[in-house]
Amino acid sequence: MNDLIVKLISRLLIPFIQLYGIYIILHGHLSFGGGFSGGALVGSSLMLYAIIFGLKESEKKLPHSVSQFIESFGVLAYIIIGFIGMILVGSFLSNKSAGFSLGEFGTLFSAGMIPLLTLAIGIKVASTMITLLQRLLKEDSHD
Amino acid sequence: MKQFPVLIVLLPLFSALIIPLLPKKKRFLFGFVSVMFGLLFILSILSYLNVINDGSFRYVFGNYLAMVGIEFLIDPLIALLVLFVSGLSFLIIIYSFSDIQHELKEHQYAYYYCLIMLLMFSMLGMLYTNDIFNTYVFMEILSIVSTAIISIKHKRSNFLASFRYLMLSSIGSLTILMGLAFLYMVTGQLNMDSMSLVISNVWTLYPTNLVLAIGFILIGLAIKSAMFPLHIWLPDAHSSAPSPSSAFLSSLVVKIYIVVLIKVIYRIFGIEIIASLRIDDFILIMASLGMIFGSIFAIGQKDIKRLLAYSSVAQIGYIFLGIGLLTPLGLAAGLFHIFSHALMKSALFLSAGSIIFSTNKRKLIDLDGIGFKMPITMITFSIAALGMIGIPGISGFMSKIYLGLALIADKHPIFLSLILLSSFLNAIYYMPILISSFLKEDVLVKNTLQKDPLPLTMIIPMVIITLSVLLIGLYPQIIMDVIELALPYYF
Amino acid sequence: MIEALLKHTNYLGAIALFIIGLYTVLTHNNVLKKVIGINIMETSVFLFFVSIGMIQFGRAPIIKLNETDIIYVNPLPSALILTGIVVAVSITAYSISLIIQLYREFGTLDLDKMLENKEEQE
Repeated sequence: MNDLIVKLISRLLIPFIQLYGIYIILHGHLSFGGGFSGGALVGSSLMLYAIIFGLKESEKKLPHSVSQFIESFGVLAYIIIGFIGMILVGSFLSNKSAGFSLGEFGTLFSAGMIPLLTLAIGIKVASTMITLLQRLLKEDSHD
Repeated sequence: MKQFPVLIVLLPLFSALIIPLLPKKKRFLFGFVSVMFGLLFILSILSYLNVINDGSFRYVFGNYLAMVGIEFLIDPLIALLVLFVSGLSFLIIIYSFSDIQHELKEHQYAYYYCLIMLLMFSMLGMLYTNDIFNTYVFMEILSIVSTAIISIKHKRSNFLASFRYLMLSSIGSLTILMGLAFLYMVTGQLNMDSMSLVISNVWTLYPTNLVLAIGFILIGLAIKSAMFPLHIWLPDAHSSAPSPSSAFLSSLVVKIYIVVLIKVIYRIFGIEIIASLRIDDFILIMASLGMIFGSIFAIGQKDIKRLLAYSSVAQIGYIFLGIGLLTPLGLAAGLFHIFSHALMKSALFLSAGSIIFSTNKRKLIDLDGIGFKMPITMITFSIAALGMIGIPGISGFMSKIYLGLALIADKHPIFLSLILLSSFLNAIYYMPILISSFLKEDVLVKNTLQKDPLPLTMIIPMVIITLSVLLIGLYPQIIMDVIELALPYYF
Repeated sequence: MIEALLKHTNYLGAIALFIIGLYTVLTHNNVLKKVIGINIMETSVFLFFVSIGMIQFGRAPIIKLNETDIIYVNPLPSALILTGIVVAVSITAYSISLIIQLYREFGTLDLDKMLENKEEQE
């Protein structure tokens, strides 16, 4: 797409969308939303960039090999966090009993490992969204 | 060790995540996959021994209450099924190393094994979990992955088959979700045990909700497990997939949905409620129709894999017939047929796959004299096919015996005649293949006994599966004992 | 009867959407419309599931420590449906990528025409 207004506006918008997405991911244990919703927001900002500036520009910013790596990393992080609880107290995904600090109720640093899990999910969802779009665009540009 | 179930479920997921990151070397990939499957098999043997020695147990995630968190229930039957699934899939995987080099392109191998690993993850999760919504999530993963391993072969018939499968199975899963909503309205629980407790107390108050719930869930699972009138996706999907995938889909994936149906009928609702809502009549009628019509459709097929796929529809009818009787004997017969059909059908699909692998022929008329060119393959095929017909000494015979005994004990002798009729129909479409492959002569080549033109990695799994078919046919107690041990958990 | 139905318009809406979606999937030949039908069915199930957990005048279940006796709605159905939405997204993405492949193979979106020339023409 070669439209100046769209490019300018999106350049203005994308940082704010990403900031909002990150906010939602980080506050997943305190309010609505969480990993999926926030990750979808971040992912949609990346998708917006890919649609407006084209596949090539978007692959320059986030190559497919990197996004694939991040995608696997998101779930691996989830599994590893779960394993911590399993090794320490013998139950997968244990939270309080595995020694994660629950913190003060209602603050950002609370709820033990749940923010970490939300973060892992957010990374996974965002990278999946952009990988899906890149795949579809690439398939389209083959012929 | 109480951690076995989690390790068994997480190992395939972990390897599915690692596989795309591995270097793109064929040898390395195959080695990694076989090591992971071997590890899975060893873990499931240990877990099985553990359950047999120490009795069944529950595993609660994250030390929450079982009512709040997700719970795994491991009884002897589930442990045996997990052992069976991991062992059979290990054999199919070894077979697939040679076969997919013929059917897929080199850059697709990593994706294929990634999908197979996800398939294992969702199947094992579905077997273990005791939480109904967790089952739904695993089911969705399974349905997407099983359509994806059909469409990985870039041919137009594959895309078409997998699209139709995807549409029907999404209708099925949405129907199941709707049923779960009705169930949740009544119970307010998601754990199967607390659900059944609530249902047995209040079911006279909300009969409409429960009828709707079991109706929706039954129809959804019937689509996914190809109960007779809803089987239309199965022949295309199972026949166009790569041969190892066909073996996976036909012998394992469909069975997992049936196990979920068993859990819903026997564990959540309980047989009294099912019987008084007259759900069992519906299952029995559909099962017997499937037994007859699946065989009749199979008679008209010209493609060997399509024939096997239609035969699956008939054999699934047997399993549903056992389940629909709502007696311990019937359930045991149905469960036994799950094992014996999985073994026989995977032997059939693998040997059909090796015929296609070495001769590139899949039409039935081209099979004249194939028994002399590929003796081991055709002996495998014949033993499994004779088992499907019900020749004594092969596991199919024993499951028919158990089913017949259960039917007589439950005073349903009419279905016994249907089983006999279905066996005759099986003979009508399996015998011509055997006759033409061993007694007829190819037009071009004379019948001289040759060695199979196959790599060892394809022959050994077929032979092991055939031997276990014979073993279970001669000593059915190996499986029956465990089933009898597990029956109290379902009544 | 009618009064009971009017009280539970959510049931009516969910069932109507479910049937519209099912009808679209089963009768339309256009593969894209089939996917849209699946999406309508999904919406109906999500609507129904979420509306079960609804309590009149209930508040969103974010606990405030110093306020007591507030009625909260049941958060579990919403949480479950979030999972359902994730699944719906992946089914839609996968089926759309399949449709791209189908269109490239057959040059049409009509399922009947695809079934007519199912065999490989090479």
